[in-house]
Amino acid sequence: MQTEATPAEADVSELDLVKQCQAGNADAFDQLVTRYRTRVFSMIYNMVHNEQDAWDLAQDSFVKAWKSIPRFRGRSSFYTWIYRIVTNVTIDWLRKKQVKGSGAEFDDSIALKAVDPASRTVPKADALPYERMEQSEIRARIDESIAQLSPEHRAVILMKEVEGLQYHEIAEALGCSIGTVMSRLFYARKKLQNLLRDVYENV
Amino acid sequence: MKTFEEKWTAWLDGELSGKELVEFEASLSDRATAEAEKLEAQKLGALLKHQLVSRTMGNEDFFNHQLRTRLNADTPEREISPRRPAWSIGRLAWAGAVSLALFFVSTFFVMRQKEPADQSQYLSQILNARVDPALSPNATVSIFQAKEDKVTVLWVDGLQSLPAEYAAK
Repeated sequence: MQTEATPAEADVSELDLVKQCQAGNADAFDQLVTRYRTRVFSMIYNMVHNEQDAWDLAQDSFVKAWKSIPRFRGRSSFYTWIYRIVTNVTIDWLRKKQVKGSGAEFDDSIALKAVDPASRTVPKADALPYERMEQSEIRARIDESIAQLSPEHRAVILMKEVEGLQYHEIAEALGCSIGTVMSRLFYARKKLQNLLRDVYENV
Repeated sequence: MKTFEEKWTAWLDGELSGKELVEFEASLSDRATAEAEKLEAQKLGALLKHQLVSRTMGNEDFFNHQLRTRLNADTPEREISPRRPAWSIGRLAWAGAVSLALFFVSTFFVMRQKEPADQSQYLSQILNARVDPALSPNATVSIFQAKEDKVTVLWVDGLQSLPAEYAAK
């Protein structure tokens, strides 16, 4: 699991930190946030394709986690538990956005094409300009394709292919059965294969 | 019973094994096409993993700071709402019961202390004896006795004359 913990922080077990949080220790929660903020932010960003929205949703997710942590019983790992909160918050947000009918999901990914090359979002800072442009275009194509999936299908494919979670972990995070996870994966893959075939065949 | 989609997904991810794997592969009408599709799915997975790798947040410390500020703003609300009132019903009931018990105990002791006081310190015995109805028809005799002081008072009322035999010698 990817974390940002320093060796000293890593000595403090996740369970200890959770217990301290349950006792109202905000410093312990701060450590948990530091450990998981990048993964949480990244997961949300890949679903919403907008940095500011991802930031706000990550904040909302952690606030919700802080409020709910007294009810965390430790039956799953903390990360699976917080993933459930993150996906619920993000899927709710995406649904509301779709209901509003803004249709602006693609606008965000288009904006990615104009991303500042000096920003940290560019995978290789030392890439040549044409490589950066190519990467940006590929990224934009992927974002556009993912945006065509339902929020639930997005969550499943990202958790499986990017986060590398197991079926049961995804099921736990999404609150559905393993069969549903596998079925959603089937359709998400089929859709993305159709939309991105030329990309992955030529990369 | 797994659906075709579930078995296909498990097959792509290498999650089928043993009898289940053999049965599924035997059920494929065109094995070559299926293998090609499996390869495509793997390429898609690799592309997604490579391109959507974890993004580094800008201003990570500010993220924590902003979150802390929000949590601090929420904390008083969080603390106040579940706080129980200083005098809950249970505590009030206990306090009432204890007060009543104290009241009855103190009343009992006070009454107990007062009982002797209500009683006269003199033990009176009214004899209503008439000395001699012929001589003194309205005469009565009462005796008051204070046990603690060992004193006895004889009170004679309405006596018109003292019989000769009572005369002090």
